Amino acid sequence: MSASSRGGRALSSLLRSQHTRQTSSVPRRVCIQCANTTTTTTTTTLLQSSRRAYSATATAAAEPSSSSSPIPPPPVTTSSPSASQQSQDVRYRIKSGIILTRPPLLTRQLTPFESAFFLYQKRLNERLTAPFRKEFYFKQDTATDLDWKIKLKERHGVPAKDIGRYNPRGRMGWNDEVMVGSTTSDHELGVVQKLLHDAEARVSEDGEEIVDEADRVKPEPPQPRTTEADAKNDTRRLDRKLDQTLYLVVKRKGAAQKTADGKGGDEDVWTFPAGDVPTHEALHETAARVLAESAGVNMNTWIVGRVPVAHYIQSPPPTTTTTTTQDSSSSSSGRGEKVFFLKGRIMAGQADLAGNKHGYTDFKWLTKDELKDTLEEDYYRSVRNMFELR
Amino acid sequence: MAALREVSRSARSLPLSQIRHSYQLCQRRCAATQAAEAVLQDLETDSTLGAPELSPEEKKIFRPWKRAADRKYTLPSSRYQYHPPKYNRGPLHPIQSPPSSDPIARDFVPGPFNLPRLRQTYQSTVASDLMTLAYNHKPPGESHEHEQHEETTDRLRGWDGSSPYHKNRQKRAPRGSPVLKLVERDITFRNIPEIKEITIATFVPEAIKEQDYLLVARTMLLAITGTTPEITKTKSNIAQWGLKEGERAGVKTTIYGNAAYEFLDRCIHIVFPRIKDWKGIKGTTGDGSGNLAWGFQPSEMAIFPEIEVNYAMYPSKMLPGCRVFVKTTATSDRQARLLLQALGIPFYGELRN
Repeated sequence: MSASSRGGRALSSLLRSQHTRQTSSVPRRVCIQCANTTTTTTTTTLLQSSRRAYSATATAAAEPSSSSSPIPPPPVTTSSPSASQQSQDVRYRIKSGIILTRPPLLTRQLTPFESAFFLYQKRLNERLTAPFRKEFYFKQDTATDLDWKIKLKERHGVPAKDIGRYNPRGRMGWNDEVMVGSTTSDHELGVVQKLLHDAEARVSEDGEEIVDEADRVKPEPPQPRTTEADAKNDTRRLDRKLDQTLYLVVKRKGAAQKTADGKGGDEDVWTFPAGDVPTHEALHETAARVLAESAGVNMNTWIVGRVPVAHYIQSPPPTTTTTTTQDSSSSSSGRGEKVFFLKGRIMAGQADLAGNKHGYTDFKWLTKDELKDTLEEDYYRSVRNMFELR
Repeated sequence: MAALREVSRSARSLPLSQIRHSYQLCQRRCAATQAAEAVLQDLETDSTLGAPELSPEEKKIFRPWKRAADRKYTLPSSRYQYHPPKYNRGPLHPIQSPPSSDPIARDFVPGPFNLPRLRQTYQSTVASDLMTLAYNHKPPGESHEHEQHEETTDRLRGWDGSSPYHKNRQKRAPRGSPVLKLVERDITFRNIPEIKEITIATFVPEAIKEQDYLLVARTMLLAITGTTPEITKTKSNIAQWGLKEGERAGVKTTIYGNAAYEFLDRCIHIVFPRIKDWKGIKGTTGDGSGNLAWGFQPSEMAIFPEIEVNYAMYPSKMLPGCRVFVKTTATSDRQARLLLQALGIPFYGELRN
């Protein structure tokens, strides 16, 4: 902060203190920027704006209340059954759902920039660290020593296996960048192939060099990153998209009730498994029960914590007589839904919908991006914040 | 108050409300944005990544090593080389060191070299689970800053004021301990425990008699961590053990970030499963502020792949064990234990917080 701006701060604070002396109701703890922008506005708006939290605005957006009060009431978390609130709550059914996930099993693929950057850092490291001491790792004139010598010669005297042809100490030490189109930095094409070739034993146990390439014992290459399920795009299988999180979604046959804006209807909808919460059960108990009832018990699952990670509110359909009236709650068929989702992890097993009690007809294991196309838009928007980055 | 001084005498004579008005006017002038626009006009809009790809002929021609080799006359190497200054002589000195991120800087440390597996697991799976597990609901719209403030301030014991000499007297430390313990903070989206660093230390009292023990210990830690360990000295005189203060009798090193995750990964997936009759880590470990520790016996050190690969090179009788201190950003032992359990370390016995 420069001296002049510090002076400006002091000046503004001086002005503010003058102002507060005139109208004593201005709170003292207002940040400088807010105070500067609102000196002309009335003190009441200042108070409101400072207390208006993001969460309050979010709930206001989610539940368009019919009342026109400027500040929305805080969301009720504990049960405080006042008469008016109870009549409002009856219009919603409380449901508990489960978002069952399979965490990524593989590391993610590096971007070309990342792999190039890592190669560059490795080469810099070669320039700065002490040279490799062969004598410490290979005893003179043993089979491993001979093996090392052969491989070192093939690598043009570079002890490191994954940095390509680069001599950090010679005259050309500066030349540490790879050319365009080089596969040296690429993990799959460059590094893995080099390491596999290097893992072949070139000398037999009696110290004889194995000249014929067919005689060398080849190490088992790593499994491919994509599986058979990926090739077939079999969304029911759990061994697909191994480097991403998979989420279990189920198909609900012909949604009985329409949504508030009249759509939905008889089409099949993909949702997360969910069920009504009876009075004697907690959310996580219902979630576990619903999972067992819908997707079967042949899964080793773990429900993470007891708190929901997302919620979805389906507002009740508009009543035929008038627009949203308070006493329309008597008709139980026209109720909305509040679904709270818990997070689950699957360790083993597979979903099985045979004989499920919730009328689900199909299931899929989908990634975050696929969910966007599968779920309904407002449903997706309400749960998307719990999705993992990958 | 420089700005106040800058305001001219005539302006100061104006009524306060007018000054306020003019002050706001200068604030809204937005000089910075005008300057930024002028700068942005100078920028090239084309990205280098979007440049057209070179033709094979052009690629063939571009051979920097060939050009360097063909050059007939070269300047002495000193003309090409820049050496950063050895000493930092303060921020006002004309000669300044380059930032440590610059490869030419003296304190440059290369890296990262990869994206560690365990770190990716942490980021993709563990962190969000920990956040969900330890979620502590606070109804929105209420201020909880006050509570937190109460908790973290005024934790020292005051004086009751029964004596006039209590006035201005310094407050006392809590009973039973000369230091204040950390206050446990809730796990939130911006406070998820993470591995910060790992210190590995060995104590080699035999090195007082024979210095070679120290060499073996150093080589061992160097092989395991890839860093140059520092030598520690004994702190106290204990005649029965033949210890004298200030003797070189130990080695330690600290690894941070990716290296720490890699080391932990090796411990969890290679070393621990191969230790005979291993029960886990003692539940009573921890210093009360989120740092857990365990030890390896000398025989267990041979399991580390870096040592196993040339175990014959080490004098096996001189190979020491070591202690591993995992420092986390957690503020209590139970949070740190939660993190390590999620990463795959089991704990046994009584758990102490």
